[in-house]
Amino acid sequence: MNEQIYRLNCYVENKPGVLARIVGLISGRGYNIQTLNVGPTEDGTVSRMKIDILGTEKVVEQIILQLRNQVNVIEVTSRRM
Amino acid sequence: MNQNAKRTGAQALVESLAKAGTEVLFGYPGGQALDIFNCLTDAKFPFVLGRHEQGCVHMADGYARSTGKPGVCLVTSGPGATNTITGLATANIDGIPLIVITGQVPMSLIGTDAFQEADTTGVARGVSKHCFLVQSADEIPEIVAEAFYIATHGKPGPVVIDIPKNCQQALTSAQYPERVSLRAYHPESAATSAQMNRLAKLINEAERPVIYAGGGVIASGAAKDVATLAHRAGIPVATTLMGLGSFDERDPLSLRMAGMHGTPAANWAMNDADLIIALGVRFSDRVTGKISKYAPKARIVHVDCDPASIGKNVSVALGIVADVKDVLTTVLSRVKSATHPEWTSKIDGWKKSHPVTWSQMHPNVIMPQAVMEAIDKATGGRAVMVTDVGQHQMWAAQHFRYSIPRHFLTSGGMGTMGFGIPAAIGAAIARPDHKTVAVCGDGGAQMTFEEVVVAVEHKLPVTFVVINNGCLGMVRQWQELFYGKNYSGSILTVRGRAANERLEQDLKYDYLPDFVKLAEAHGAEAYRVIDPAKLDATIARAVRSKKTTVVEVIVEPRANVYPMIPAGKPVSEMVFK
Ligand SMILES: Cc1ncc(C[n+]2csc(CCOP(=O)(O)OP(=O)(O)O)c2C)c(N)n1
Ligand SMILES: [Mg+2]
Repeated sequence: MNEQIYRLNCYVENKPGVLARIVGLISGRGYNIQTLNVGPTEDGTVSRMKIDILGTEKVVEQIILQLRNQVNVIEVTSRRM
Repeated sequence: MNQNAKRTGAQALVESLAKAGTEVLFGYPGGQALDIFNCLTDAKFPFVLGRHEQGCVHMADGYARSTGKPGVCLVTSGPGATNTITGLATANIDGIPLIVITGQVPMSLIGTDAFQEADTTGVARGVSKHCFLVQSADEIPEIVAEAFYIATHGKPGPVVIDIPKNCQQALTSAQYPERVSLRAYHPESAATSAQMNRLAKLINEAERPVIYAGGGVIASGAAKDVATLAHRAGIPVATTLMGLGSFDERDPLSLRMAGMHGTPAANWAMNDADLIIALGVRFSDRVTGKISKYAPKARIVHVDCDPASIGKNVSVALGIVADVKDVLTTVLSRVKSATHPEWTSKIDGWKKSHPVTWSQMHPNVIMPQAVMEAIDKATGGRAVMVTDVGQHQMWAAQHFRYSIPRHFLTSGGMGTMGFGIPAAIGAAIARPDHKTVAVCGDGGAQMTFEEVVVAVEHKLPVTFVVINNGCLGMVRQWQELFYGKNYSGSILTVRGRAANERLEQDLKYDYLPDFVKLAEAHGAEAYRVIDPAKLDATIARAVRSKKTTVVEVIVEPRANVYPMIPAGKPVSEMVFK
């Protein structure tokens, strides 16, 4: 159960409710978001979210899979910090 | 209609729902949905008025479970919308496609704590697959098309469309799209040829294989393919609760249901297997028990359409994200005919030595398990069985032989009491060709009994069987086994209540309510049966009736559901009585 900080890079459609869904999916499982940064990309219809969370590899993998299942999520990548 | 002709957003909604294939709409009106209700009288599909929004969503859910098509429901803002939450959560966890349309206050009032304003998409987000908040009437046709697409593609689920009143009233010429293409959502995924070869090799080399079939088999329409694979490769089949009906339980290869209240043969076979072919399952904690001791000798192959479910609860040797039916039809040609005589005879031994049975506790008191057998007999095993949640749900799973997909409808993941009555109404509307029987507890029946009126109004020949044990039986069972027989808050009769409830023990009534009078007040034909000798005949009579019938069966209150693997325990701790 080795907890580490992971940075998730999410590209999402720039639509209302998307941020809430993503944050809710993570916080609803009892994980604390350490840093959250949302901004536009060159394509104005796409936003980029950088989310740092503390968790085990297995939990973070599961969160990524759940994020990818979301209707407005285009792509998620992660790296250990 | 002229391409440029304008109509209101509400009219565009009703027109789009028809184009999307809506056959029936369940719902309940209110101020912020009145513009939509106003055009329903011209709609191409009929409307069914429920009596509580939770009931309306469960009706749409019953329709969806029995047909595989999305159930559609319409309610008003605020309390109408919040009353749908239990129904959404129930459908969401079981992967049932629903479209729930909620009225919303006009956009100019959103955020002002207006009358009957609730943040519906905010509240519904965690219990639905997706939520839309409409911003303009022009969006409505496209959002309806997208909602139906999302509800039915990937792992199915409920989708909420929240429509502010001004968008219902505004004029639009937007048309229903020919095709849906979502930028970010592409859930289709297929197995690779390497995965198929590996799967075939694992199957061909296994000595003690088990197929473990779940709700995903039914959702993907793969029951026939499961049977073909099982018969070709001689593989016994266990199912989850949600998978009942995906494999004929009368087949010699059937192990019936696995899990906490599953058959010893199913649980022991999974425990001993060298290969588990898991199809459309989630590996719920109600099945795995103690996860570190689950299927210790087996390699697990997991096929599911949801990438997030693979490897979530158990580690797998091979995970395939794909439609179950596609995988089975492809792999079949690579699977050799085989039998496993040693394995199947070991399993047959377990089936003979430890069948799931019951015995009479008092000669004059009906055992609840006997009711399920009576329903099986009276309907030739062909009824659409809908259950509520509790002991009777497990007895319905254990003591009726399921053989047809979409003939066992139950709230598996959420375990929602109150599901049974409205879900049975939705199923009966969807499948008039089949007899629908709802089995409910006395507790759960009181949660949504008001919906019985809907069955009567629509002349649905549903039979609602209330298993009256005078208690919240499943809670009482846990208290008996794990809480030192301290029956706190679980007794429904006056006698036997815990002292802190401060009821006078000499109250005139014992069993309340009188379900026969209650049913008659709702316009249904009602029967009560107390004598074991009259059980079969009463059930048969109710099932044959062309009217909506309610049968109250007074049963043994001390009966427990066995076998049982206590929560979080390994298979070795299964208890039989
Ligand atoms: C809405 C809801 N509330 C509470 C529960 C917890 N619960 C599970 S089974 C059960 C008892 C059900 O009693 P009854 O309907 O009489 O069925 P029985 O177990 O007696 O067959 C309860 C309270 C639940 N599953 N759903
Ligand atoms: Mg009861």
